Amino acid sequence: MRSSDTSRELVVGMGSGVEQLTDPELATADMVLNIGPQHPSTHGVLRLRLTLDGERVKAAEPIIGYMHRGAEKLFEVRDYRQIIVLANRHDWLSAFSNELGVVLAVERLMGMAVPDRAVWLRTLLAELNRVLNHLMFLGSYPLEIGAITPMFYAFREREVLQTVMEEVAGGRMHFMFNRVGGLKEEVPAGWTGRCRQAIAEVRRRLPDLDNIIHRNEIFLARTVGVGVLSAEKAAAYGVSGPVARASGLDFDLRRDEPYLAYGQLDVPVVTRTAGDCHARFECLLDQVHVSLDLADRCLTEVDRTTGPVNVRLPKVVKAPEGHTYAWTENPLGVNGYYLVSRGEKTPWRLKLRTASYANIQALCTLLPGCLVPDLIAILGSMFFVVGDIDK
Amino acid sequence: MGGSVPGGGLARGLATTLKTMVRPAHTEQYPDVQPELPPRSRGVIALLAENCTVCMLCARECPDWCIYIDSHKETVQVPGAARARQKNMLDRFAIDFSLCMYCGICIEACPFDALYWTPEFEYAEYDIRDLLHEKERLGDWMATVPAPPAHDPNGEPAKEVTAAERKGSAPAARVRVSRPPSRPAAPPADPAPPSGSTPPAGPTPPSDATPPSEPDPPAGS
Repeated sequence: MRSSDTSRELVVGMGSGVEQLTDPELATADMVLNIGPQHPSTHGVLRLRLTLDGERVKAAEPIIGYMHRGAEKLFEVRDYRQIIVLANRHDWLSAFSNELGVVLAVERLMGMAVPDRAVWLRTLLAELNRVLNHLMFLGSYPLEIGAITPMFYAFREREVLQTVMEEVAGGRMHFMFNRVGGLKEEVPAGWTGRCRQAIAEVRRRLPDLDNIIHRNEIFLARTVGVGVLSAEKAAAYGVSGPVARASGLDFDLRRDEPYLAYGQLDVPVVTRTAGDCHARFECLLDQVHVSLDLADRCLTEVDRTTGPVNVRLPKVVKAPEGHTYAWTENPLGVNGYYLVSRGEKTPWRLKLRTASYANIQALCTLLPGCLVPDLIAILGSMFFVVGDIDK
Repeated sequence: MGGSVPGGGLARGLATTLKTMVRPAHTEQYPDVQPELPPRSRGVIALLAENCTVCMLCARECPDWCIYIDSHKETVQVPGAARARQKNMLDRFAIDFSLCMYCGICIEACPFDALYWTPEFEYAEYDIRDLLHEKERLGDWMATVPAPPAHDPNGEPAKEVTAAERKGSAPAARVRVSRPPSRPAAPPADPAPPSGSTPPAGPTPPSDATPPSEPDPPAGS
């Protein structure tokens, strides 16, 4: 902590306000405060440089890069199968959706047709991944503002879904199940039944999570009207996903530019207009219901579709010379890969556009004017993954 | 918003807590009760050294190069053959699990089925250097490799199944893949019948000494 003017003495404790009352020149003594990079509320290593006037935030600047792992540069020296490994790690809560963008880009460049069964399975797994991601935030957000219990409910449901994901992909977090041209392998016999069961179980118990926190008066007091992001601001900062939809920005790639099998599904887009922390939480909660419904419909199609789940690939997968941009509606927002290939087995450049990176930029407009305790509520409601910010 | 009764939201939350309180707990009694993991679970990598031909594909395809292989060549005199054959002998095969990203590319890349996933996970160490598993330790994991699950009838059967069926229709042909002998009792879904000895010279693909036709140019070219 230091005073913005080094020559000025900062009086702390009893009588600290006296000189501000008497001397109009000293009326404000701003304090520059660092939140993070090791602060629990930043769930990771995000650093916020705040300028405080008492309890009120005057300016906020997110300082990022503490977790930069050079993912984009690494992409350039890895072949496409190895890129999938790296790509599912930047946003570790939406591994499947991250993989998806890479394979969609490569498939488009190669002009490859993916078998129907693979497309439906991918859509199904992407929706399950969305539920997993949202459940994590539905549990962790109340935790950050003091409600510990919802976490246990959210993780109970996550466990059910992770079990089916593990059975099919072998991993609980980094699924590594997408391949260029389809999926790694066919799902085990009887899996679709168990998956349907898991979805039903989660759907049946989801009202618990709703009841325990959604209308809780303390939770409402902390979140309603706090951190209001307008639709214009959201659009200006490139905010996407549930955070933008809570501000009334009605934009969802699953409906607006369908990829996978979303074109054949009717995707209801959950929106709110309030744009405050509570609206963002509500968006997430409602999207879980939508995703579970979508997953059910995908399962019906998967059971109806026969055939292979991948195509035979050449020994060395080379994307022909050219460039393409593949974007997907990841759980946290728009995730895009700009792939430039020079016909080699590695991309010449694979630019990564991540949802969290754009979403947290809005913090510098969202935070000024709020109080320090609200800062935690706002930070948590922006639903970001630090790996996704820093790449 | 919701019920206009003051404290209604809190009461609803407490009702949920009460409801959950009278339900059985979800606690997993882990150290006492082992978790049931699916066969595809990526716990640790097992090595069937007999199948390894030192083709180095796994080491080359590994995204973080955590596989170390050393070998030497030996000359084998095959009775009846015109000249002696060169055979790669595996000296060292080690996987550094402190680097491994558990992606499974090595297992996918292996053309001779020398590597397998097993769901075992209890190999934490106090010293990170002990996570480097050498050939013997990797071989020990072989005993824990589960049989792969049968595929969904709507999809295509596993390539092992189709291979076995094709081999089965041709008489006197043997399946190339030899399975671990010490595997625990496997469900009948296991597609590949175990073959004890090396297959006789015949229509089967090259089994040991000859390295596979070079599948791709060396990395970096």
